[in-house]
Amino acid sequence: MAEVSDSEPPKSETSQVQEPASDFDPKTMRKTKPGLKRLVLTLSVLFSFVLGFPFLWKTVEIYRAPLPFREVESLSAQLDSSPLLFPCHFQAIFLGFNSKSSITSSAIDDLQVSIINQMTKFTPQTPQCGTCSTNYTVSVVVESDSQCLQSQGSKSSSPWKCGSMAAVDFDSDDDDAIDDSLESVFGGWSEVASAGKVYTVVWVRRDDEVRAVVGKYRHAWISGRVSEAAAAASRMAEIFVKVFVNGGKEEGLIHEEFMPVGADGRIVLSFNLLNAEPRDWIYDWDFQDVDENLLSPVIEALEPIANITVESQVLYHTPKSSFSYWDDKLGSYIFSTKDLPFFVNSNEWHLDTSIAAGGRSKILHFVVYIPSSKECPLLLRLPDGEISKTNGFISPKWGGIIVWNPKGCGKNSGIEHPFRHTISHQDLQKVFEVFTGQFRQLFGLKSDNVYIGSSGTSSLLASERGFTVWELDVLSRQHTCSSLHSCATTLGSLSRLVQSLPRMIIMDEIGKQVKFSLDEAKLAQINASLGVYDASAVSSRQARSLAEEAFFHPSIMSVSYYSFEHCFAVYSPFFLPVSMHVLLAALREWRRYKHENRKYLAWKSKAVS
Amino acid sequence: MHCKMCTLFDSMAVLMLFLVLGSSNFGNCMASSSLLSSSESTMHTNNWAVLVCTSRFWFNYRHMANTLSLYRTVKRLGIPDERIILMLADDMACNARNKYPAQVFNNENHKLNLYGDNVEVDYRGYEVTVENFLRVLTGRHETAVPRSKRLLSDEGSHILLYMTGHGGDEFLKFQDSEELQSHDLADAVKQMKEKHRFKELLIMVDTCQASTLFSQLQSPGVLAIGSSMKGENSYSHHLDSDVGVSVVDRFTFYTLAFFERLNMYDNASLSSLFNSYDPSMLMSTAHYRTDLYQRRLDEVPVTNFFGSVMETIHTDSAYRALPRRSSAGVEVKMPSEQSAHNNEREMLIDSNIANQSSGFKTEDQKGVLTRLWDTFGDRIEKIEDVDSFVSYGLFMMPPILLLFSWLSW
Repeated sequence: MAEVSDSEPPKSETSQVQEPASDFDPKTMRKTKPGLKRLVLTLSVLFSFVLGFPFLWKTVEIYRAPLPFREVESLSAQLDSSPLLFPCHFQAIFLGFNSKSSITSSAIDDLQVSIINQMTKFTPQTPQCGTCSTNYTVSVVVESDSQCLQSQGSKSSSPWKCGSMAAVDFDSDDDDAIDDSLESVFGGWSEVASAGKVYTVVWVRRDDEVRAVVGKYRHAWISGRVSEAAAAASRMAEIFVKVFVNGGKEEGLIHEEFMPVGADGRIVLSFNLLNAEPRDWIYDWDFQDVDENLLSPVIEALEPIANITVESQVLYHTPKSSFSYWDDKLGSYIFSTKDLPFFVNSNEWHLDTSIAAGGRSKILHFVVYIPSSKECPLLLRLPDGEISKTNGFISPKWGGIIVWNPKGCGKNSGIEHPFRHTISHQDLQKVFEVFTGQFRQLFGLKSDNVYIGSSGTSSLLASERGFTVWELDVLSRQHTCSSLHSCATTLGSLSRLVQSLPRMIIMDEIGKQVKFSLDEAKLAQINASLGVYDASAVSSRQARSLAEEAFFHPSIMSVSYYSFEHCFAVYSPFFLPVSMHVLLAALREWRRYKHENRKYLAWKSKAVS
Repeated sequence: MHCKMCTLFDSMAVLMLFLVLGSSNFGNCMASSSLLSSSESTMHTNNWAVLVCTSRFWFNYRHMANTLSLYRTVKRLGIPDERIILMLADDMACNARNKYPAQVFNNENHKLNLYGDNVEVDYRGYEVTVENFLRVLTGRHETAVPRSKRLLSDEGSHILLYMTGHGGDEFLKFQDSEELQSHDLADAVKQMKEKHRFKELLIMVDTCQASTLFSQLQSPGVLAIGSSMKGENSYSHHLDSDVGVSVVDRFTFYTLAFFERLNMYDNASLSSLFNSYDPSMLMSTAHYRTDLYQRRLDEVPVTNFFGSVMETIHTDSAYRALPRRSSAGVEVKMPSEQSAHNNEREMLIDSNIANQSSGFKTEDQKGVLTRLWDTFGDRIEKIEDVDSFVSYGLFMMPPILLLFSWLSW
């Protein structure tokens, strides 16, 4: 082929045309126009190859739903740069301050400034995610028989009506009654105040000891004498910051990441009644009743934070796996706190039997352990030698266990036949009070109804819903923060993963989930900035759940997809050798044509001259 | 595959070399591990185990026995069934050739039936595939997959990953039909780390050339131990003449021997486990990789991976919904100190450590060609960025092809 294309055409030309002038050099010139046929043929073959290339590209292309990489990045950058903070409003009310000299409005403004100063002292320097932003507002109201004064600049945010507090009787001994009547006064405010919730502390002037009570809603009251304004300001500021904002918990009790909510925003509470040795006695419970009366308010209260479902089961033949010893002094069997890690007998306790729980839900086990007659009564000894009041313990992210000793189980050990009992309602209520305490502990909240601050002790009222309103606010804020962070990191990992596997199919579903997740995250941020705690908690939960679903989509598997190198290796043996020849042939033909044409032109110019 | 006698002398020679050299460069591993600063602040809250037997067929009885023995051990030490993912590629207990139907033994004394009660196999037979294995690790399941088949670990989990089967240089065979590459494993572990699916991961591999399987790992918090080094075989321990096949592998046998002496309360350290492997008994060199692991091995109890020690906190008080007028005189109780227990007591380190982390070869037996090939291999290994090297190669390919088709014109 190579021989032919190079040498033949000139030969045939020269053989035909012999007669003309002697200056005709067959090596450098020719008399006829070079033919285009071969060039056109090779070019058309090359051209068809080039045309076919897009088709090939299209057929080996894979479908990738467009993912908003930039928005994902901006979300995580945004959350990293500025922690999510909520607007908060605080109100300090002083009642019954009948002083001789009338109170000036400037004195009230001084009081306001001093409360704000004290609050900044209590707040940590670096703003923590899920707390109140630094631009909180504090309004101060001082009311006496003769006058009622409000601090400047806060009239718009608190629709305070002077004299409305007179209805509340602080002389009553019943704290709950005071709390409820305060709520009836303040109740309407949270809805009226457009931006965020208003936390109130009322100082009632008395001549007895100072006593502080934090109610079930968003207010607290302090009664007692006021020695100086600074002390009062400090006391109020501490309740504002440490109780209402931080939830009254110490730092480092349970890490925030240990929020026991599943990735899909669900919690399954699995209540187990374990009869260790059914030959001794068998206990049953009226769980239906407990569920309706004790659990449903708690579940309802936690609605914004998690979607909670409840299950229960009674198990038999479930001995514990740690040891106990007899203590003569106490007349009971003792197990100590260092045995607790071995208490759960995972081989005999078949706790995780839930079929309702989805793959990413969180199951929290709550176990009532009824010991056998051989080790009854069974008590838990604390490291300081005392006997535990609750007889129970928790394991973070797992749940809680209570050892419940049947009445008089130590005395009549020789029971003739196993008798079916039902745990009485009172006992069950006590057990569930401990369970509520454990549940709160799992959420990082304390249950001892008292807050010991630097400037004094406050007692906290307990809500029959398991969580007080201000505690739910704290949980909502923290939950929103941690969910948004988790959502951002999950989406970030997903986008990194997707970008690292360019040959992976991304289904439309994943694209949609990512988009919706981002939308929900934005919504949560907007709600947070507006101070709508519940809505922001709900949308952040949705955002996290959708992000997790996208990340754990079963179609994302690196082994199912091959790299570009692989694709190249598959297709190049088909096309690469041929295409090289086609390309080379076209080049060669083009050069030959140009060469021949130059020869023709040389002859032509010679002929003309 | 496994029991080639020819390399036995080779491994003996390597052993002698180790004994001579002692533990001269043991410190290197420790130094490099301290470079990885631990940013982990989360508590260790739970334990998981993924136990995988990858080979089919009757003559691989020992692999199933290995896995079941380890299953029994971790259950005995407290990991609950719902936190163990057991993958068995074949059902030896019901194999027609099994003289003891529905029983599996790991010792010829037949004292212990591994297939007794309460064995919950999560993936069996043809379900044991590379894909399913990687799905378990990465957590990407179809929605219908039940909880018991999922690895639902979190950022506080310690995971034990045990694999046995037939392996080779950087791969592990699954079902005689597909392979798990070391890259796949490293990729899955990386994704797990990315999604905080573990706090610490112990990979234990009992195959030939086991240490090559975890050579590609990069994620911090991973500790890996393999039964043999590159170029070494892992051997079976003994043949049961009643069953007719080998019933346990050496590495697993000595691992079990170590654990039989322990119970839940013991706190033998990981280094005492690792030092218990005697190369002359294993007939291979157990190799462990610690450069990704932050803690000192002699401070980590084996129950951190092979057992389940719950983190517990005492409940101080109940939450009384109706305070019953007691709030006026609430007793002020000082919060009792947190009763969390970490069973971290120390074990003495055995003083005579046969160094297992260095890779010496007996050079003098090699020919010139092998030496050349070795130097080439060393060069290849020195290339740091493998991906860019490959893509350069790809870009070089068309011009070279062009050149050759030009020449052949």
